[in-house]
Amino acid sequence: MLGYLGPNGSGKSTTVKMLTGLLQPTRGQVLFEGRDIQSDLVSYRKRLGYVPEAANLYPLLTGQEYLEMVGTFRAMSLAQMKSKISSLLELFSLFAHRHVSLGSYSKGMRQRILLIAALMDNPDVLILDEPLSGLDVTSVLIFKNLIQAFSALGKGVFYCSHILEVVEKVCSQLLILRSGHVIAYGSTEDVRRRIGQSSLERIFLELGEDADVVKVANEIVDVVVAPS
Amino acid sequence: MNSWKQSLAVRWMVFSQRPVMHLSRLFAGRMFHGSGELGADDLDLGMGVVLIFLAMPGVLVSLLMFEKYGSLIRFLRGDGTFDPFTATIPDEYFFIVLSMVVSCATALWRWNSIFLDRRDYVSLVPLPVSLAKIFLANLFAIFALAALLTVVVNAASFVLFPIAVVGSQGSFSKLFRFAFGHALSVSLSSAFCLLAIFALSGTLLACLPYRIVRKVSVYVRFAVAFCLLAPLATSFTVSSILSGGSKLLFQRLGGMPPWFLGLTETLWGNGNDIFFASLTRRAAFSLGLALLISVISYAVSFRRAFVRIPEFADVGPLPRGRRFPLPAMLLNATILRAAKLRTCYHFVSRTLLRSEAHLQIVLAFTALGLVVAAQTINSAYHPGFFFAAWPPSVALLSIPFILTYCLLVGIRLAFEVPSDLSANWIFKLWIERDGEHARQIARRVLLTFSLGWIAPLCLLYSALLWGWLTALLPTGILIACSMVLVEVLLVRFRKIPFTCPYPAFQSNSPLVLLAYLVGFGIFAVYIPRIARWALETRLGAVGFIPVILLSLAGLRQFRKQMLDMDKQLIFEEDSASRF
Repeated sequence: MLGYLGPNGSGKSTTVKMLTGLLQPTRGQVLFEGRDIQSDLVSYRKRLGYVPEAANLYPLLTGQEYLEMVGTFRAMSLAQMKSKISSLLELFSLFAHRHVSLGSYSKGMRQRILLIAALMDNPDVLILDEPLSGLDVTSVLIFKNLIQAFSALGKGVFYCSHILEVVEKVCSQLLILRSGHVIAYGSTEDVRRRIGQSSLERIFLELGEDADVVKVANEIVDVVVAPS
Repeated sequence: MNSWKQSLAVRWMVFSQRPVMHLSRLFAGRMFHGSGELGADDLDLGMGVVLIFLAMPGVLVSLLMFEKYGSLIRFLRGDGTFDPFTATIPDEYFFIVLSMVVSCATALWRWNSIFLDRRDYVSLVPLPVSLAKIFLANLFAIFALAALLTVVVNAASFVLFPIAVVGSQGSFSKLFRFAFGHALSVSLSSAFCLLAIFALSGTLLACLPYRIVRKVSVYVRFAVAFCLLAPLATSFTVSSILSGGSKLLFQRLGGMPPWFLGLTETLWGNGNDIFFASLTRRAAFSLGLALLISVISYAVSFRRAFVRIPEFADVGPLPRGRRFPLPAMLLNATILRAAKLRTCYHFVSRTLLRSEAHLQIVLAFTALGLVVAAQTINSAYHPGFFFAAWPPSVALLSIPFILTYCLLVGIRLAFEVPSDLSANWIFKLWIERDGEHARQIARRVLLTFSLGWIAPLCLLYSALLWGWLTALLPTGILIACSMVLVEVLLVRFRKIPFTCPYPAFQSNSPLVLLAYLVGFGIFAVYIPRIARWALETRLGAVGFIPVILLSLAGLRQFRKQMLDMDKQLIFEEDSASRF
C-alpha cells in the first residue's frame, strides 16, 4: 500500500493519469506485471479500480444507472453486476438513493458511488486520488479498514492524499514528491527514521513544503484582525 | 462645466456601487452567461456575440427592404409613387412577427436564468443583504434586460426600414411619422413577448411545486415555441394576403401580431378608424396585462419559491422514462446486443431525454418540423382537397420527410452540446479510440429517436388513406432515405455524443448551414415528389434501390479514404478557436 504525497503542483495527479492510462508518459513506461500498460490498456484497466480526485459524475444518471454503466464497461456479467451493485449500495448506505439522479447527491454520496464503481469488479490494483474528501466519519473509518483488508488480500493500493494522518495509519510505503521529483521513498518507518522526525506531518513539512506555515498563518490572522 | 461633469461622475459612481446595482449587474450577467444548472455546460457566447446574433435578423430583413423600396429599383421596375403607409403593411406585419419571435426565443433560451435559484440563495442570503434588495435587483435586471433586448432586436429596423421606404420621398415629417410608428410598434410587440414569457415562467413557479415546474417547463417552452413558429411560418402567406389591406382579413388573422399592426396603423394616422382603434386598445391592454402579471407572478414566486428554497430538497435533474421499460428491453435484445454499445446508447438517450438543454434543442427542431408540415398541408389545401385522393398529394407525402429531417438535424445538433465534460473520464478510460463506437451509437440514437415513431405513424396513416400495399412504398422510401441522411450527417462524426466541448467555429460553417438548407430541399421537397412519381408508376420505386445503395457505397468509400487519425475517437477538438 503506497501513500503518495506532495504539495499542489508536485505531479501527483499527472502520475495518477499516467498510471490509469489517461495520459501517455513522454518518457518511460508504466509497467504492470512486467508489461507496458499501453500494450493492452483494456485488460489492464479491467484489473484496475480508480477513484478520481474530483467526484465528476454525469448528474443526469441515477446512482444505479451509473454503476450499471461502469459494470458494463468492465464486461461484468449482468447477474454478477446486479447482485454486486445491490449489495454494495446497501453496505455504503446508498440503496435508498439508487434511483435518484447523481446531480442531487451530496459530495460524500458521490464519493461513495465512485468507491463502489472502483471496487465492484474486484480489482487487483486500486488507485485512489483523495478518496476521503466529503466522506463522513463513519464512512472514513469503514474505508480505512476496507483498504487495509483489501491490501491484506495481496492487492495493490496506490493512495494519493493530503490527509497525512490517514496515509500514516493506512499505508505501508511512502513516496513524497516535489516539483515532479521523488524526494523520499520507502516504508513509512524508514522514511521517518531517515529524516529523524516523529510524525508524517513533520516529515512532509520538512521535505515537501518550502513555506513556513506558522509564519503564514500568523500573517493571515494579522490581516484579518487589522483595523479598517 | 468640468466640475458639473465631475460631480455627475461621482454621483454615478456612488450610485453604481450601491448593493442593489451590484446585484442587478450580477443578475443581468447570469441571465446572459447561463444559469449554472446541474449538468449544463451552457454555451457562453459572451454578451457582444449574443447581441449581434439577436440584431442580425432585423439587419438582414431591413437590408432586403432597400431592394424592394429603393427609388432606383422601383424606377427600373416601372413602379410609380406609392403610399408607404399602405404599401408596407405586409412588411410591417413581418417585422412585428420577427421581433416577437426573436424576443420570445431569447427569453425561452434563458428561461432558467430569469428567476433566482438555489445557487443565488446559497450565495446571497447568508450575506448582509436584505431580501427586499435581492427582490428589487432581480426585478430591475429583468426589466433592464427586456429593454435592452427590445432595442437590440429592433435597432436595425428602427433606422433602416424607414430610410429604405420613405427616405427617397423627401418629406421629413412623413419619415418621422413612419419611423416613430414602426419603432414603437415593434418595440412594444417585442416587450410584450418578453413580458409574456416572464409572466408565464413566474406564474408556473408561483402556482406549481418546484419539482413539477422543472418537469413541465421544457414542454411548456416547446408549446410556446410551436405557437411562435406558427405566425413566423405563415407570415409570408399572411403578408401576401395583407397586400390588399382588407379589414376582413385583419379580423380573420387572430392572435397578437395583428393587434400590434393595428397599433402601427393608429400611430401612422389611422387612429380614427374604429377597427384599428379597437386593435390598438387590445395591444395596449395585452401589454399592460403582461406587465402586471409578470410583476405579480414574480413577487409571488419570489415568496413561494425563492424564500422557501431551504425547505425543499435539492431534487437535481429528474430521471424520466423509467415507466416504459418495454421499448428499452426490445432495443437491448435487437440492435443493442453489444454491451458497450448498449450502455453508451442508454447514456446518450437518457441525457437527451433528461437534460433540458438538449431536449430544448430537439423540441425546437420538432416544433419547426411540425410548423413546416402544417404550413405545407395548409398551402396545399383548397376547397376540393381530398386527403385520400389518388395519387397522394405531395404535401401529404412530404410530412414524414419534413419531420424526420428536422428531428435528425435537431438531434445531430444536440450531440454537439456537452454534458458535464469533467465526467467524461469514464469514457476516456473505457472506450477504445480506434473503434467505430461513436458512429454506431449516434446512428442508433438518430434512427430510433426519429424513425422509431415516425415510420410506424407514416405507415399507419398511409395505410388508412391509401391501403396497406401503397403505404409500404412511401414508408420504405422514408426509411431508406433517412438511413442515407444519417450516414451523411455522421460521415465525419467521431465523438461519443455530449462528451466533447462545443465545436470550433470554422470558416466553412456558413457553407455547412447552407448545405443543411439544401439538404432540406432535397429530402423534404424533392424526394416526396419522386415518391409520388414512384407511386404513380409503381415500377419507378425500383429505381430507388440502386440510388440508395450507390449513396451508401459512396459514403462508405469516402470514410475508407479518410485518414485513420481522422476517424479516431476524440474528446476534444484540436483547434483553439472557439466561440
